[in-house]
Amino acid sequence: MRIVADQDRCEGHGLCADTAPEVYDLDDDAIVVLRHEVVPPELERKAEAGARVCPVAALRVEQIGAEP
Amino acid sequence: MSVRDVVVVGGSIAALTAVEMLRMEDFDGRITVLSDEDVPPYTRVPLSKGVLTGTESIDDVVLAPLADDVDLRLQTSATALDIDTRTVHTPSGPVRYDGLVIATGGRARRLGRPDQVERVLRSHGDCARLRDDLAAASSVLVVGGGFLGMEIASTARTLGREVTVVDLAPPLDRLLGAAVGGHVRSVATQAGVRIVVTDGGVRLLGAPVPTGVELVDGTRLEADLVVSAVGDVPNVEWLAGSGVQLHGGIVVDSHCRVAPDVVAAGDVTVISEGDGQLTRSPHWTNAVDQARAAVRALLHGDSAAPYRPSQYCWTEQFGLDVKMVGDLDPQGEPTVLDGSLDEGSALLAWPDATAPRTVIAVNHRTPPAKLKRLLKPAAAAAPA
Ligand SMILES: Cc1cc2nc3c(=O)[nH]c(=O)nc-3n(C[C@H](O)[C@H](O)[C@H](O)COP(=O)(O)OP(=O)(O)OC[C@H]3O[C@@H](n4cnc5c(N)ncnc54)[C@H](O)[C@@H]3O)c2cc1C
Ligand code: SF4
Repeated sequence: MRIVADQDRCEGHGLCADTAPEVYDLDDDAIVVLRHEVVPPELERKAEAGARVCPVAALRVEQIGAEP
Repeated sequence: MSVRDVVVVGGSIAALTAVEMLRMEDFDGRITVLSDEDVPPYTRVPLSKGVLTGTESIDDVVLAPLADDVDLRLQTSATALDIDTRTVHTPSGPVRYDGLVIATGGRARRLGRPDQVERVLRSHGDCARLRDDLAAASSVLVVGGGFLGMEIASTARTLGREVTVVDLAPPLDRLLGAAVGGHVRSVATQAGVRIVVTDGGVRLLGAPVPTGVELVDGTRLEADLVVSAVGDVPNVEWLAGSGVQLHGGIVVDSHCRVAPDVVAAGDVTVISEGDGQLTRSPHWTNAVDQARAAVRALLHGDSAAPYRPSQYCWTEQFGLDVKMVGDLDPQGEPTVLDGSLDEGSALLAWPDATAPRTVIAVNHRTPPAKLKRLLKPAAAAAPA
């Protein structure tokens, strides 16, 4: 699984990082950064939960290998 | 009894977060989501901003889809609840639960008469219609100067419309306090928005499509497009007669519980503070926080951690990005922690810098987690 973050949309509300700090972080400008290129399997649920609480829908979940 | 069958009623952020929380808690029973919407969960937040301007579409604001094993039933409204038999009724038949999460949110409050087709903004359908109306209008009157009303005013101004906002009190003061409220209003006024504060209610004129309002002193304000942004009403009608305690919303306890094996979260709730006081917090972060606490209570009962609001909300308008933690409507002059409002970027604290109960960042790139850490330590770091 991969998370695709649209940094232009991100407004730094930090809900993703509150939900799954192992997956998401905010940089000094309060813009989301991903801690993993590919989400480790044991963090997939948390990563998805973090993606779904973004108030501006800046995070997408992609299954690697699946058709887009 | 262990919960095997959870039904979530609602199709927005509180419902979605409840589902996510069930999965994070390794719940492996069945999850059914009943939503009366015709599209999967999306975020309303950009509906007053990018989607209304037209730079984003509804496809851009749909939230990451639910996992395949969740049974999401769209266009399915809950019409009644029977707590004794643990059944939610829908037009397509009864749905049984052993755990129920109510997340039916709210709808736009209306001011007008039934024969008036009032323009409001709550759903993606409202947004599409308002965008079309905006395209055809040269002047816009926004009734209500809360976050939503002022955001609509900002978008309409960006689109070059002539904009008036009318409210009973100076817009935003009740939320942001007079210092920041005044600053946002002055930026809005410089951007060309006319703000009218009236002493007493307004009457919506024109039918079927409203064309203006009349103030108590008889003054009339007219515009091509009149939008009402006067708050929201919780969707609780389907719970009439169910025994669920309703008082301007579903009354929930400190764990978001409503009745045995029934919890509620989000805009549909009012929170009982124990001292008889009821508070309502119709904001995104609250819907998320409550949904998590509600699911924990459903699965773990009294041993679950209670709901603890993170008290974070924000607004974006007139080029200002305002993020706020702590109590609403801070009183008096703030202590400036960084920058200054006059220079456009500021970090402000009330009542003082040593034990702030409210912190507001205006065009100041501070992550909310950092803002929360600035709050009075006792409030922020209470044990979990
Ligand atoms: C235009 C706009 C902009 C906003 N901007 C911000 C912002 O910048 N920051 C912020 O913090 N908050 C903002 N908000 C508020 C935020 O969107 C709400 O707090 C949030 O949507 C609440 O989520 P909820 O799930 O509790 O309720 P809702 O979003 O109201 O969802 C309730 C869901 O239940 C469904 N439903 C209702 N009745 C039934 C039934 N009987 N059966 C089945 N389904 C039913 C509804 O169709 C809906 O899907 C904004 C709101 C709007 C409208
Ligand atoms: S939740 Fe969304 S807006 Fe907030 S930091 Fe994460 S990606 Fe950015």
